[in-house]
Amino acid sequence: MTALASPAAPPRRPAPRVRSSRRERRMTRTAWLFAAPFVILFLVFMAGPIVGSFLMSFTDMTTRDLQTPFQVNIVGFDNYVRLFQDPRFLRSLLNTFTFVVVAVPLTIGLALAVALALDKGIRRFRTVYRVGYYAPVVTSIVAIAIVWRFILQPDGLLNGFLAVFGIQGPDWLQSPSWALPSLIMMAVWRNIGTIMVIFLAALQGVPREHHEAAMVDGANAWQRFWNITIPAMRPAILFSTVITGIGFLQFFEEPYVMTQGGPLDATLSTAMYTYDQFGFGNYAYASAASYVLFLAIVVLSLIQFRLISRKD
Amino acid sequence: MTRTITRRTSRLAAAGAVTLVGALLLAGCGRTDSPTGGGEGGGDAIDDSPATGTVEVWAMGNEGEVLDELAAQFEEENPDVTIEVTAVPWESAHDRIATAIAGGETPDISMLGTTWVGEFAATGAFEPTPDGLVDESSFFEGSWDTAVVDEVAYGVPWYVDTRVLYYRTDLAEKAGLEPPTTWEEYTAFTKGLQEAGAEWGVSLPPGGFDSWQYVTPLAWQQGGDILNEDGTEFTFDTPEWEEAFAFYTSFFEDGISEPRRLEGGEIESAFINGEVGAFYSGPFHVGLLLEQGGEDFADKFGVAMVPGADSRTSFTGGGNLAVFEDTENRDASWKFVRWLSEPETQLAWYDISTDLPSVQAAWDDPTFAEDPYLSVFGEQLQDSKAPPAIATWAQVSAVIDQELEKATRGDTTPADAIAAIQQQATSIGTGK
Repeated sequence: MTALASPAAPPRRPAPRVRSSRRERRMTRTAWLFAAPFVILFLVFMAGPIVGSFLMSFTDMTTRDLQTPFQVNIVGFDNYVRLFQDPRFLRSLLNTFTFVVVAVPLTIGLALAVALALDKGIRRFRTVYRVGYYAPVVTSIVAIAIVWRFILQPDGLLNGFLAVFGIQGPDWLQSPSWALPSLIMMAVWRNIGTIMVIFLAALQGVPREHHEAAMVDGANAWQRFWNITIPAMRPAILFSTVITGIGFLQFFEEPYVMTQGGPLDATLSTAMYTYDQFGFGNYAYASAASYVLFLAIVVLSLIQFRLISRKD
Repeated sequence: MTRTITRRTSRLAAAGAVTLVGALLLAGCGRTDSPTGGGEGGGDAIDDSPATGTVEVWAMGNEGEVLDELAAQFEEENPDVTIEVTAVPWESAHDRIATAIAGGETPDISMLGTTWVGEFAATGAFEPTPDGLVDESSFFEGSWDTAVVDEVAYGVPWYVDTRVLYYRTDLAEKAGLEPPTTWEEYTAFTKGLQEAGAEWGVSLPPGGFDSWQYVTPLAWQQGGDILNEDGTEFTFDTPEWEEAFAFYTSFFEDGISEPRRLEGGEIESAFINGEVGAFYSGPFHVGLLLEQGGEDFADKFGVAMVPGADSRTSFTGGGNLAVFEDTENRDASWKFVRWLSEPETQLAWYDISTDLPSVQAAWDDPTFAEDPYLSVFGEQLQDSKAPPAIATWAQVSAVIDQELEKATRGDTTPADAIAAIQQQATSIGTGK
């Protein structure tokens, strides 16, 4: 079964031998010429600012240095040390971590369930459902915020619904214990659509013959799902987990429009914290905070690649 | 081939990084203490000849949309001048000005939130107000202070905004109470409103963005302040501040105020349907309430000066105008600013924008003096104060917001809250 599941890797092409003849050198030059527009744009607008802000994180730059950015003092790792001494920053890391750990599996699981339902279960109005689940992805966050406020208000839709069962719901957004779960709920709802589309595509790529062969072998639906569908979807799941993980680590829009990081910093994410610091004009300090987040993203992605793509 | 390219790229990147670090190290041997431009006092005086050339002005929000109308009048009086108004949304205005300063692409004049002056003045991007351009004493004192950083004025206050107490007159009548003048009366008044049918006596934000604007006046009213006399140290760990915090949180402990922040839009409807008996706000709420409450609601609410302790100080904000150091049309820019702060212009501006004049003389006009609502604002402006124009104010005020929220939620005591504010504010510093 496992042999069936992992398609054979394409034979690797032998690496071209490096030989520097004049012709090759000219070709290299031409290649660079063609690549130049991208390379220049990348260096000026991407790599430049990235390297710049990295260097900035070792200085004490604030608003007062706007006109004279090179007159700053080099402070080494001071900003990083200060970050980890700031209880609010640590709180923001904890919030972000909680958010990722809860929301990523939830998003992937629900998206997979929805994708399977749309692929197999639901026959009627399939397009309606697909549009329905995808709509939140393309809706403006501002519109979403307004609607979710109505849902989460103390006398809103959600509490009205809970009241039917005799449950007195909390004031979701202004309760320090419920604000983060509320935003998790909202973020999951917003992101299911994208992942669902990816999974639908992946499901269509699962070879029918494998399923047929397994049926002949007497595998039931669950066994086929677990041993054929899931392994065949592994690249899609890996991809989705990584992009959702990265997206959720940078979790910003939801607290920005709904809670501004409150109440009592319950929804203060690291990105939100960084944004605040930039707003205060603490450019160097904010850069340091964003590099900590960047490092976290790199680490998380590495872990996910390890966990999901292990060769069998 | 791939390999050579990657190796070369990485070498290039490394070289670039090294050069950059080097440049930073060389150039970055510490900063000079004084801001680049400016200096003491303004530059040359501005004469009375007509303005000429082009002046680029940035204005935010509603002001940005309607300033053209007013500028047309200036252009009529000065035929050789062109005023180009750019409307900037409030949300992005702060960043846009910062970016413009960094890039050296500033306009000639910009409108500013009163609390930004300290921060941007520290960059040296503003030109000090020329001597004799305007008469300092013609402005409200609290308002003029918003333009002054280290005893140098940068620009002038354009319009003002202050907080007064909005209350339901029908409920107050039912309870047999007059609007409060002291703290004791204030507590009794709001309790009375509750007995007369309001669910909450007064609506106060339990924390969150800008809630410092509600608690700071309480410290001012007892003679407390944010900075010491010479503006070098924070004075949050004082009895005045502790008392202010204790008084503010008492409204939540006694169940007079709802421990929930009412967002814009919610407050009007809660006040109109009688759920909330009183709240604090600026002048724009008069219009909003008359519009949303319908004809007969005008008889059901009134405004009053804020209750106080030793004084009845309120918070003042508003908008200032500043001229940038690298303006290409200095004379015309200041002439426009001067014209905007003339009493007649400010009256015309009120008609266009409903912004309250920063010049006291304009308030003698019947438009304000005889209006039952606006006259209260005029009176309150005589006793209103702005936070100090220091570069780090946004950050320090955010700390007050956080600690106030902890105090109103009962997570900390007023004494611990002010100690925490003092400690954090000191570590943030005044930005000098």
